[in-house]
Amino acid sequence: MTAVRIRGLGKRFGPVTALNGARLTAQAGEVHGVLGENGAGKTTLLSILAGLLPADEGEILLRGEPVSIGSPREARALGVGMVHQHFALVPEFSVLENLMLGWPGPLLSLPREEVRGKALALEKETGLDVALDAPVKTLGVGERQRAEIVKVLLQEPAILILDEPTAVLSPQEVEGFLRLVRTLADQGTAVLMVAHKLDEVLAVADRVTVLRRGATVLEAPREEVDAASLAQAMVGAREAGSVVHLREAAALQEERPPAEGDPVAELRRVVVVDGRGVTRLRDVSLEVRPGEIVGVAGVEGNGQRQLARVLAGEMAPTNGTVRLPPEPAFIPQDRRAEGLVEDFDLTENLALRLHRWPRFRRGPFLDWRTLEARTREALATFSIRAEGPHTRADTLSGGNQQRVVLARELEGEPEFLVAESPTRGLDVAGESYVHQVLRDLRDRADGPAGIVLISTDLDEILALADRFFVMVRGRLVPIHPGPDLRERMGAGMLGVE
Amino acid sequence: MTATRSWVAAVMALVATVAVAAGTLALGGFDPGEALGALVQGSMGSPSVFLSITLVRAVPLILTGLAVAIAFRAGIWNIGAEGQLYAGAVAGTALGLALPEAATAWVVIPAVMMAGAVAGAAWVVVPAWLKLRSGVSEVITTILMNFVAIHLAGWLVHGPMQEPRGVFPQSEAVSEAARLPLLVGGTRLHLGFALAIVMAVALWAFLRFTVAGFQVRAVGANPEAARVAGRLRSRRTLLWVFLASGALAGLAGAVEVSGVTYSLYEDLSPGFGYTAIAVALLAGLSPLGVLFTGTLFGALEGGAGAMQRVADVPAGWVGTVVALTILSVVAVERLLRGRRDG
Amino acid sequence: MGESGILNLVILTAFLEAGVRLGAPLALAALGETLSERGGVLNIGLEGSIICGALGAALGALATGSPTAGLISGALAGAAVAGVFAFFILVLNADQIITGTAITMGGLGLTAALYQARFGTTGTQLSLPTLETWTLPGLSSVPVLGPALFSQKPTVYLAYLLAPLLAWFLFRTAAGLQIRAVGEDPDSAAAAGIRVRMVRLWVTLAGGALAGLAGAHLSIGFTGTFQPEMSAGRGFIAIAVVVLGRWHPVWVLAAALFFGSAYALQTFLQTLGLDIGYQLFLAVPYVLTLLALGGWLGRSRAPTALALPWPHRRHGD
Repeated sequence: MTAVRIRGLGKRFGPVTALNGARLTAQAGEVHGVLGENGAGKTTLLSILAGLLPADEGEILLRGEPVSIGSPREARALGVGMVHQHFALVPEFSVLENLMLGWPGPLLSLPREEVRGKALALEKETGLDVALDAPVKTLGVGERQRAEIVKVLLQEPAILILDEPTAVLSPQEVEGFLRLVRTLADQGTAVLMVAHKLDEVLAVADRVTVLRRGATVLEAPREEVDAASLAQAMVGAREAGSVVHLREAAALQEERPPAEGDPVAELRRVVVVDGRGVTRLRDVSLEVRPGEIVGVAGVEGNGQRQLARVLAGEMAPTNGTVRLPPEPAFIPQDRRAEGLVEDFDLTENLALRLHRWPRFRRGPFLDWRTLEARTREALATFSIRAEGPHTRADTLSGGNQQRVVLARELEGEPEFLVAESPTRGLDVAGESYVHQVLRDLRDRADGPAGIVLISTDLDEILALADRFFVMVRGRLVPIHPGPDLRERMGAGMLGVE
Repeated sequence: MTATRSWVAAVMALVATVAVAAGTLALGGFDPGEALGALVQGSMGSPSVFLSITLVRAVPLILTGLAVAIAFRAGIWNIGAEGQLYAGAVAGTALGLALPEAATAWVVIPAVMMAGAVAGAAWVVVPAWLKLRSGVSEVITTILMNFVAIHLAGWLVHGPMQEPRGVFPQSEAVSEAARLPLLVGGTRLHLGFALAIVMAVALWAFLRFTVAGFQVRAVGANPEAARVAGRLRSRRTLLWVFLASGALAGLAGAVEVSGVTYSLYEDLSPGFGYTAIAVALLAGLSPLGVLFTGTLFGALEGGAGAMQRVADVPAGWVGTVVALTILSVVAVERLLRGRRDG
Repeated sequence: MGESGILNLVILTAFLEAGVRLGAPLALAALGETLSERGGVLNIGLEGSIICGALGAALGALATGSPTAGLISGALAGAAVAGVFAFFILVLNADQIITGTAITMGGLGLTAALYQARFGTTGTQLSLPTLETWTLPGLSSVPVLGPALFSQKPTVYLAYLLAPLLAWFLFRTAAGLQIRAVGEDPDSAAAAGIRVRMVRLWVTLAGGALAGLAGAHLSIGFTGTFQPEMSAGRGFIAIAVVVLGRWHPVWVLAAALFFGSAYALQTFLQTLGLDIGYQLFLAVPYVLTLLALGGWLGRSRAPTALALPWPHRRHGD
C-alpha cells in the first residue's frame, strides 16, 4: 500500500527556492532513505509533511487521499509523526511528562499510569531504553532522542519521519537504532529517514529518494544504487555556473605554487567542548599562510561553526593553542543576525568594526565625516546598490547586504580572513562577485592574505580553495588534490571511507 | 529595542491618542472641545502658566524619560525609575540638610545633584548585578526596588529625617543654598529645566557622536551582531547603561527636591517614573524627542487640574490618556513592523 | 494567665486576622498571576485588573444590591482588562512589559475618572453593599487562630481553597501540564499539538478574573467603599509574592499572608503608638523577594519562556 505520495511540491523562503517540484513515494512497511546535500530541501520537504510549514504548491496524498496538513496537530491526526533534528522536548519536564503532553484525553486528569504502561510496553517491544522519571535536561543526547522516538511512537504513526536521527548518536547507538528502524518498518510503518551518511542509509533502506536544489533527482530501490551512484546523484556536477568555477579551479590549481611565508594564523591541537559537554572540535591543527585559500567542506553540525568562531577570535578553545592576528576579518554565516545591524544605516554598519580604529575617531568621539566618506567609497568599490551611506541595511537585498559585510571586513587590508558560507542565499551574480573578492584578496599584489573558507557547498570550495579539508565529527581531515578530488571530498564529508 | 526613527509612527500614535482622548471624553458625556480647551488653557494659556505649571512638571518627566530611553535603547527594561527617583531625592535632601547653611550655592547645588545621581545609580546596582551575573530579569527586580525605595523614604520622613517638630511626615526644608535658583523671575520655573535640556542634548550627543554611545546603540539594536561584527563585550556596556539610567532618574529626584518641594515627602512623586515610560516611548527613545514629549505630558498633567475645574473632567482621565498613548505607540509600531516584514 | 497575657492573645488574634484580611487580595491576585506566569505571561497590568475589579464589583453591587453579583462583575471587569492586555501581547505580539505598564496606568486612571464622573468629588464616601462575614462553626472557636482565620469574608475562603486547587490543576492535570509546557518551552508545546496562544489567552483571562476578585475583596469585601487608586500597588506586590512563593500556589498563598502580615504589623504598630519605623517592615518582604531572586533563599526559577513573545521575533523586530 502506498502510504504517502508527494508530487510537485514547491516552497520558497523569500528569494530562496527551497523546494522546486519535489516528489516522493513511500510504501507502508518500508524504510525510505531521503538524501541530499545541505540546502537540498530534505528537511523542508519533511517539515511540510509534518505540518510544520505550509507548502506553496504541490499535493500530498496519504493512503491515496489528497490531504492538506496545516499544523502538527493535524499531521498527528493523519498518522504522521516526526522525530525532530532539534528535539521537541520540554527540558524542565520529566520524560513521562513529555510523553503525556498532548496525549488525547480529559483535561482534568493526568494519564500517568496509562502512559507509563504504554511506554514501558513499547520500550520492551522495541528495546528502547529510557528512564521515564528523569528530567529531560539531565539526559544525554542519545537518551533524549530515544525519549523523542518513544513519544512519537506512542501516537502509533502510520508514517514516521526521522530527521537526521543518527547525527547525534555514537557508533554503538547507531547500530541499535538502525535495527529499531527495521523493526518498525516490519510492523507496517512507513519510515522516512533523512540521513547524511550513505552507509547507514544503504544498510537499512528499502528505497531511496535523492534531492538536489529542491528537486527530486533520483528515486530507486536499494538494490539499484550504491555509495558511488548516490554520492554522484547528490553532489554531481550542477548547472553551468559551477562548471565554470570548476574549470577555473582546475586551471588555478595547476598554476599556483604552494603558498610560502610565515603563517598568519595557526591552530595547534585545538579542542572545543560546548556548554552541554559535547566535543565539537577534536585535536584540530591548521596553519594558514598568506596567499592561500584553505577550503573546509563539511556537512553542517560537524564542528565548522566552532572552527570558524575559534579562527575569528570569537571563541576560546577548551584546549590547545591559537595564534591569530589581532581582530581577524570575519564573514559570519548568518548575515542578518550576526553580520549586520539591520536597523542601522550603512555607515553605522561599517562603523561596527571600524569605530575603535584611530583613523575613525577623535578622542572619545566618532569621526562620522570620515566614516561616511569611507562608506561612500565602499559603495562604489563594492558596487553596492544603495541610495547612499545613510540607507538602512534592512532595505538592501541579500547580495548587497553581503557586499556591505565584505566592505566592512576587508577594510584595512586584513592579512587574515575567515569566511563562513559567504554565498549562502545569494544569486549567481552575487556568488561570483563574492568569489572574485576572495580571490583578489588572496592575490593582492602588496601583501596577499590568508583565507579560510568554510562552506557546506562543495562546488564553492572546489572553485576557490588551494588546499582542501573536510570536517567530520569535529575532526579536520586533509584531502589531497588530484584526480577525483570532488568525489573524494564528497565521500569524505559524508563519512564514507 | 531600537529607536523608532519614523516620525510617521510618532505622529500616527499622537493622532490616535488625541482621537481616543476626545472619544473617551465624548463617551464620558463631556464636551471634548471644552475639556481640551480647558486643558490647553490650564497648561499653555499664558506664559506664566506654561512656565510655572507645564515646564515645572516636565522637568522630572524629562529626566526620568531620558533614564528610561537610554535603558530601553540598550535593551534594558528599567521599570524602576520611580524608585531611583526616590533614592535620588532622599540623598539630595540628606545632603542639602547636612551641608552648613553658610556654604555657597556654587558648591552645594552641584553636590546635591551629584548625590542624587549617585544614589539613583546605586539603586540599580542590585538589579544590574542580578541581571548580569545570573540573568535575573530586571523587570521584576527594578519594580521591587521601587517599593523598597518608597517605603524607605516613608520611614525616613516619619523617623530619622522627620522635621524637628515631628508633626508632618516630611523632612525639614533644605537650606537656601541647596535650592535651585529660578530661571525666570516671578514664575516657579527653576534651573532644573535648563539642566534637563542640557542632559537631553548631552545624551543625544553621546549616542550620536561618541564611541561609547555607538556601542550602546549597537548592543541594544542587535546584541549578536554587536558581539560578532562589532567585537563588543556587551556586559560592560550594559552595566554602564544601567548605572547611567539610574543616575538620570536619581538626578530627577534631587532636582525635584531642590527645585520644587525643598523637602522630602512621602508622596513626592505622583508616578513620574512610570509616566516616564510613556514619555520615552512616544519620543521613539530619542533624547531630543523626550524634551518634547516630556513637555507634552507635563502639559497634560499640569492642565488636568484646570480641566477638572472648568469642564468637570476627572483628573484620572489623564492617566488613561497616558496609557492610551503607550498602547497607541505599541500598536502602531507593531502594525508597521508587520507590514514591513510581510 | 494574667490579664496582660489575655490582652496579648487578643492583640495577636486581631493582628493575625488583619494579616489574613490584608493578605487575601494579594493571595487571589498572586494565585492568578501564578497561573498566567506558569503559562509564560508576565502580567504587569495586574494592578489594572485589581482596580477595575474593585470598581466593577462596586458598581455591580450597587446596581443589583447584591454583593454576590458584585463579585461576579468584579471578576468580569478584571478579566476584561486582562483581555485588552492579551490582545496586545497575543494578537499584536507586543511586548508584555510595556503593555502591562500601560494597562496598569490606564486602569488606575480610568477607574478614577469613571468614579468621579459617576459619584462626583463631594468627599462623602461611597457606601456599598458588602459581603457578609462567614464564621465557620467549630473551626472559628479554635483559640487565637480560629477567629483570625475562620471568621472572614468569603473571598478569603476562596483564596484558601484556590491554592491547593490550583496546585492540583497545575501539577496533576493534563491542562496544567499543557500550561506549564507553554511557559517553559512553547516551541516544544506547539510541536506536541498545543495551541500556545490559546493557552496563554486562557491563563491571562483567568489571572485577570482572579485579580478582579482581589479588587472586589478590597471594595465590597473589606472597606465597603471604593476610592481611586485603592489598589495601592497590590498588583506589583502580587508579582513579588509569586516570586517569593516560587511559582507554587501553596507557597504563594503563604507568601501572600506573609506580605499581608507585614501590612498588618504596620497598622498595629501605629495603633499601639509604637514609633519604631513600621515603613521599614513594609520594605522587608521586597528585600526578601530580591534575596529569593538572587538565589539566596534556595532554588527559585521563573518559567523559562516568561515574558518572551511567541512566535519569536527577530532582533530589531
